[in-house]
Amino acid sequence: MGTPVIELRGVTTIYEGERIPAIHEIDLVVERGEFLALIGPNGVGKTTLLETINGLLDHKAGAVRLFGLDVRREGHRLRRRIGYIPQAVSFPELTPFLVRDVVLMARFGRIGLIHRPRAADYRAVERALELVGSAALARRPIGKLSGGQQQKVMLARAMAKEPELLLLDEPFSNLDFVAREEIASTIVRLHEELGLTTLIVLHDLKGLPPCCQRVVLMRAGRIFRDGCPDEVLDPLILAAAYQ
Amino acid sequence: MLLGIFSSTLVGAILAGWSCGLVGAFVVRLNLSSLGFTMSHAAFAGAALGLLLDWDPLLLASLFSLAVAGALGPAAERAKLEPNVIIGITFPLTMALGLIFLRFAPGTALSSTALGLLWGSVLGVTEMELLELAFLSGAMVVLIALFFKEFLAILLDMKLAREAGLNPRPFYYAILFLTGMTVALSLKLIGGLLVFALMINPAATAFQFLHDMKKIILFSPLIGAGAAALGLLGSFAFDLPVGSAIALVSTAGFGLAVALSPKRRRG
Ligand SMILES: Nc1ncnc2c1ncn2[C@@H]1O[C@H](COP(=O)(O)OP(=O)(O)O)[C@@H](O)[C@H]1O
Ligand SMILES: [Mg+2]
Repeated sequence: MGTPVIELRGVTTIYEGERIPAIHEIDLVVERGEFLALIGPNGVGKTTLLETINGLLDHKAGAVRLFGLDVRREGHRLRRRIGYIPQAVSFPELTPFLVRDVVLMARFGRIGLIHRPRAADYRAVERALELVGSAALARRPIGKLSGGQQQKVMLARAMAKEPELLLLDEPFSNLDFVAREEIASTIVRLHEELGLTTLIVLHDLKGLPPCCQRVVLMRAGRIFRDGCPDEVLDPLILAAAYQ
Repeated sequence: MLLGIFSSTLVGAILAGWSCGLVGAFVVRLNLSSLGFTMSHAAFAGAALGLLLDWDPLLLASLFSLAVAGALGPAAERAKLEPNVIIGITFPLTMALGLIFLRFAPGTALSSTALGLLWGSVLGVTEMELLELAFLSGAMVVLIALFFKEFLAILLDMKLAREAGLNPRPFYYAILFLTGMTVALSLKLIGGLLVFALMINPAATAFQFLHDMKKIILFSPLIGAGAAALGLLGSFAFDLPVGSAIALVSTAGFGLAVALSPKRRRG
């Protein structure tokens, strides 16, 4: 199947000043084109795992490789190829940035030091905003948008990188039903049309899209089950994880 | 002196207002006000020690101000500063040290030069200091223009900047360094008690009117330069201490901005 997109071997992450690891000895391999849901109760280490994968958090033990490259050495370069929506991003009302600039900034790493954004960068921003149906918001200040609109902008921001991997941390939290359906169908469409490798953290199981072939269930900082939805979403297994 | 005292002071005030306004845009957006406040009083204490030891006050002011940046920068970077605690502890400390240094400074004890360090003086500014201020202003413009993307990204959010594949840390510390240098170089003209006003007010004024950080970075130094020039004129016209006059003008500008701000209006 070629080089895996994500490859974690015995990965442990400990927050600064803490003694107990937030995630323990994680082994996880994700191949190109997979759509994977990461589930588990609050505080189980889902966000920590995502940020360990893209190198925003440094791991204490084990190895994290993306596209075959060590995230510790190549973190900055790798993050330019990964779309990431952090959990519960919300910009205060007076945040002095326009939507199109927030989206454009996702490309600043790959544009490189000193270089200025070019036509291709602005086009990628336009396309990304169109993709999530938010082109009309481009010139609005980000803080003046509703939570759902901001979340769509964050998805556009992730897509503006033209990423090879999408990491989404509870992208549906704080969304009403309509906004949630919209964002979910956009994510599914991206996966189906572009074959984009997608790892989505869900905190409840309602948002699981049908195209999801694999579910990873966490418990207390470890992977508890990893398999197809039918296996993992068994009531007994879930009860043991969410007890 | 090539320039008369008035015009050389005017140039100094404009340069100080410009650079304070420019770093102020960063300081306000990054919530570094307590750090800027502490830096300006540490710079005063440093300059006072300079008078006592008969060393270059500017050099010691810079060192003290940068020492604050070095000591508190890492905590500020992680948003772990407790502004009230820091201000509560450092303000009395730096003031006490500065006043003790001045008390024992030979000959100058509470002379106008010494007091000028507190509320600014048009007399003390030498041509060399003007040149240094001009160099700092120019260097800041070049640096910020070259790395505009990187600075802009950390002004939105440090974590998102890292996520975009940037390394924000050097740029964050560059801001702290430039703030420290700006405070130290503006000290003689504006005074350690008031330089903080010239840093915060223009930026806060720009934030009232503008929704776009790029424009705030452009206008804040212009407002700062304008407030400094107007304040200087006021200080000559009404025989006020120059730093006080500049602080009053910049505060009045901010008050006016709050009253007129479109951001306050609903609808
Ligand atoms: N910045 C932090 N410092 C210390 N501990 C943290 C920090 N962030 C999260 N944790 C701890 O790490 C564990 C996992 O958290 P997290 O990954 O956010 O869980 P989840 O995303 O599954 O809700 C929790 O016990 C949490 O308390
Ligand atoms: Mg989480």
